[in-house]
Amino acid sequence: MKTFKPFTLLMHAFYIAENDLRQSFKSVRHVVWSLLFPIFMMFTFSFRYGVPGADISFMNFLIPGIVGMTAMFGSINETMSIVWDKSLGVFDRILAAPVSSTAIIVGKTMAGAVMGVISALVLLVIGSLLFGVSFGNIGFVLLIVVLASFSFTGIGTIISGLASEPREAMMLSNLLRFPMMFFGGVFFEVDKMPMPLPYISRALPLTYATEGIRTAAMSGDLAMISVDAIVLIAYTVGTIVVGSKMLMRLMTR
Amino acid sequence: MSSESAIEVSDLTKYYGKLLAVDQISFEVKGKELFGLLGPNGAGKTTTIRMICGMLRPTSGTIVVAGFDVSQKPEEVKRRIGLVPDISNLFGELSARVNLEFMGKLYSLDRKTRRERIDQVLELFQLKERQNDLVKYYSKGMHRRLTIAAALIHQPEILVMDEPTSGLDAQTARLVREIITDLNKEGRTVLLTTHQIDEADRLCQRVGIIDRGHLIALNTPEELKNSTEGMRALEIKILDGVDMQRWLPIINEAEGIERAFLAEGKIRVLSKDLPQAIPTVVNLVDKHGGKIDSIAVAQPTLEDAFINLTGKSIREEPMSKEDYLKRRLARSGMR
Repeated sequence: MKTFKPFTLLMHAFYIAENDLRQSFKSVRHVVWSLLFPIFMMFTFSFRYGVPGADISFMNFLIPGIVGMTAMFGSINETMSIVWDKSLGVFDRILAAPVSSTAIIVGKTMAGAVMGVISALVLLVIGSLLFGVSFGNIGFVLLIVVLASFSFTGIGTIISGLASEPREAMMLSNLLRFPMMFFGGVFFEVDKMPMPLPYISRALPLTYATEGIRTAAMSGDLAMISVDAIVLIAYTVGTIVVGSKMLMRLMTR
Repeated sequence: MSSESAIEVSDLTKYYGKLLAVDQISFEVKGKELFGLLGPNGAGKTTTIRMICGMLRPTSGTIVVAGFDVSQKPEEVKRRIGLVPDISNLFGELSARVNLEFMGKLYSLDRKTRRERIDQVLELFQLKERQNDLVKYYSKGMHRRLTIAAALIHQPEILVMDEPTSGLDAQTARLVREIITDLNKEGRTVLLTTHQIDEADRLCQRVGIIDRGHLIALNTPEELKNSTEGMRALEIKILDGVDMQRWLPIINEAEGIERAFLAEGKIRVLSKDLPQAIPTVVNLVDKHGGKIDSIAVAQPTLEDAFINLTGKSIREEPMSKEDYLKRRLARSGMR
């Protein structure tokens, strides 16, 4: 039946990701706007809170959280481009070409993850340059950022599978992203929230992303972030499996 | 590709849920043929070609393209087909060259071949000077030319075009028709869909008439015109002041009249017995207080054949809700 050619598949996925990112970065405004929101947030909080914690400044707490949140925004947005592609008909171009549906999904996921990582890095640099936040073990921070970005692409594919048009996708993504933002440990410590909110938080991938980045920023111990890393990997696998099933169903209708 | 069949469709059926879009269609497109699927909006044309291109899974039936079964070897089929969709679906944020680059990559062309082919098609479609402009700034005609160029990048033996001239101004439409004829003369098989009867008549070597998911006739345009079998046409213009539409039911009711419909501001009357029909129509118009401005006997056209076969005109038919839904389902990418 189908011959499996991993090299061709990877090349196709790579080209699709390249093409996606090329478009996103072509409209610079789009990228700048999406980054302005977390940057603005960072500044706002820096004016409001000086040093709230006992031994860790609030900014040291907040900025790793915002980095995680930005990875989420970047990667979900980029993966959701599938919905725009569908509505503009450009998706047909790819569907009509001899490209396997797996390559399409891998490509979109790659683009989403790259966008998530790049967005997070911009915020990370701003945070450390302007607010002097130190990111202790940058290698581990990056590891968590990469894993988190991949886990959010899964959410992006699920949204793309559910939404039939861009407006619906925007609505769905806001429905998921805003609660995640508030319960995902970006602004408050998850375990200090009133019951039963911690349980909700523990169900969200963003919680593990923010915690992981925070922990990695403070210590160089791999064991400390291993739980976060494992949960994020599990999330990635789970959401991508579900998301691709939904997309596959649509593509091979 | 020899002159044997390029596309073989047998008993093709497609349901969108409970909605029947294509109903047991069978036809064959011969190698190097210019074949047209003619039908009104919502007839199932787009659904059919999307299934041929492997973008939509048939509910039942088989499609063999260039010897490959679409459901078994979709990628082999896709490699041999160039699809020109009815709307421009290029990446607006990217330049023409980058768009073509991407297409070349999807068809796994190496860098050198890509560059050569891109230069070649840009030259052919006179887009070279604007190759680095963003596609979103292109005019409609340039969009269409680039869409065709993009479908040729992998030099497919079969070109599938969905409504290639719809929405274009007369001049660009003429240019596109010339391009289609040239591509066919070069030895490429062309399958196109159209809802314009004169386009099918002028362009295609064979035409399949499709209506409500059924293939109701398939022949050369000449043979289709002859299929009106002794049917002849009258063109009548009535001085009335009011719309011509109100005369249609009156004339349609009359004896010896097969069908009456509006075409280019005139009432076209089909009848098998013209000597009988002429006085009938004249009397009828007189009786209802109209004055005949002109009356002429006309050659049967492909449109007459179409109307005779489908019982309706291709152009004045408003789209039903169901047709609209089918159109949306066929065109909306994946859903």
